[in-house]
Amino acid sequence: MIELVNVSKTFSDGHKALKNINIKIDNGEFVFLVGPSGAGKSTLIKLLLKEIDPDQGNIIINGKDVTKLKRREIPYLRRNIGVVFQDFRLLQEKTVYENVAFAMEVVEASPKEIRRQVPIILSLVGLSKKSNLYPSQLSGGEQQRVSLARAIVNGPSILIADEPTGNLDPDTAWEVMKSLNEINHRGTTVLMATHAKDIVDAMRKRVIAIENGTIARDDKKGGYGI
Amino acid sequence: MKIRTCKYFAKQSVKSIWRNKVMSLASIGSVMAALLVIGIFLILVLNVDYLAAKLESQVEIKVHLVDGLSDTIIGEIRKEIKGLSGVKDCVFVSKDKALKDFSESLGENSYLLEGLEGDNPLSDSFVVTLEDPRLAPQVTLAIKAMSNIENVVYGKEELEKLLDVTYFLRVGSLVIVAILLLISVFIISNTIKLTVYARRREIGIMKYIGATDWFVRGPFFLEGVLLGLIGSIISIGLLATGYYYIARYVEQQMFGLLVISLMPFQEVLKSLTVSLLAFGVVIGSLGSMISIRKFLKV
Ligand SMILES: Nc1ncnc2c1ncn2[C@@H]1O[C@H](COP(=O)(O)OP(=O)(O)OP(=O)(O)O)[C@@H](O)[C@H]1O
Ligand SMILES: [Mg+2]
Repeated sequence: MIELVNVSKTFSDGHKALKNINIKIDNGEFVFLVGPSGAGKSTLIKLLLKEIDPDQGNIIINGKDVTKLKRREIPYLRRNIGVVFQDFRLLQEKTVYENVAFAMEVVEASPKEIRRQVPIILSLVGLSKKSNLYPSQLSGGEQQRVSLARAIVNGPSILIADEPTGNLDPDTAWEVMKSLNEINHRGTTVLMATHAKDIVDAMRKRVIAIENGTIARDDKKGGYGI
Repeated sequence: MKIRTCKYFAKQSVKSIWRNKVMSLASIGSVMAALLVIGIFLILVLNVDYLAAKLESQVEIKVHLVDGLSDTIIGEIRKEIKGLSGVKDCVFVSKDKALKDFSESLGENSYLLEGLEGDNPLSDSFVVTLEDPRLAPQVTLAIKAMSNIENVVYGKEELEKLLDVTYFLRVGSLVIVAILLLISVFIISNTIKLTVYARRREIGIMKYIGATDWFVRGPFFLEGVLLGLIGSIISIGLLATGYYYIARYVEQQMFGLLVISLMPFQEVLKSLTVSLLAFGVVIGSLGSMISIRKFLKV
């Protein structure tokens, strides 16, 4: 569960990126975060990952107040939140399999668990056949699905995606959306920031619209809006 | 820490050392150079200490007698000295023998003393050895109080000179060593900085995945320690080999005239290994900690 209570964020240059935000997202929900460029979507995501701290308000994730976490507790927060970015952020010198396995090595999983888990996740995102290829040998949609696989391989309860289809053409974007939907059906909460109007409209999921750092709209089964 | 984590650290650090071959070599070289100099000073200090300890245990008091004493009086003085507490032995050296010894010690230059036989400027003396070198001042005072004594000297000055040398050696080496250590730490931290730079993408990803700080930093820390260790092992090897041959040479050349002898190889090797390995590890970890703190904000 994710809960933001009266959260505000002002950057050091005085820019008020978020103003008094209140959001509650239940376990297993699929939520689109929409809004014009500069509205504060990425800022909100950075707050959830504790890359930055709000100057006011509380952020509660799975019952824990993130704003009160100590530095050394941050890694354990992040193990509960998978993240995907617009630019994939894959390691070019590692294969698909190795990129995903890397996420497990980093949290010191046993080789046995890694050998068991990685193929399962790769088949979930439909990449079993590509596991020995390098990122440069994959299409954009496939690369993004590798990064999805990496984000969920450690079984986080939340998956956050910041414009995961931003670099993809409509067809490959839909491949990625299918994988995201699949992951959500397995119980993972998904929060996706996006500008993809057609996808938001077609999926009929909850939509939270941010404008100028405030919540302009929160529809249970909404569309992108204007 | 889990074994596979150690393996991961080891693999990553060896890989980085290999990838930045030039900088790694430069780091190892600088550590090696610094430790070579440190090692040379260490060997010097060890040997001077060794010599000082040896001299100290060999302290003898030289008692010069006034000229022209009769054998009876000399015999009485000898008895008196032997009666002092702490005196082990008291050997008479006539002035003729003293002159002969002196001329022998000059070797080829003994012609300088030619013509002195008839008018020997040296004096008869006693060489007094002690049970404990620390008794030297006390015994010296007691002998000085006796009659017919011209003067009394013991190896104190030489010993003190030696201790002065040791002191300067220590201070001098401290300064040079400190400078060299700083340079090596700086070069190592630069090497690690390169590695951090080369792996910045990976580090960023690791942070998002939830790697702990120490997990991210481990390989970099180990890389520094390894560079320091390799440098120190090479320098130990070079110094030990050098010392082995020098010690052997000195022993062969000075055989017979063993006033000065070097500290045995085994003992030097032991001190060198322990201290230089420690220095290597300290240099390496300092270097990596600096770059980790400065360039690796995880
Ligand atoms: N570190 C920062 N310092 C100052 N201002 C910042 C900083 N990061 C973001 N901002 C500003 O905060 C505002 C919100 O940025 P944010 O990245 O959250 O927008 P966004 O909704 O993700 O936009 P986009 O859809 O283009 O990605 C922008 O005006 C941006 O310039
Ligand atoms: Mg953004």
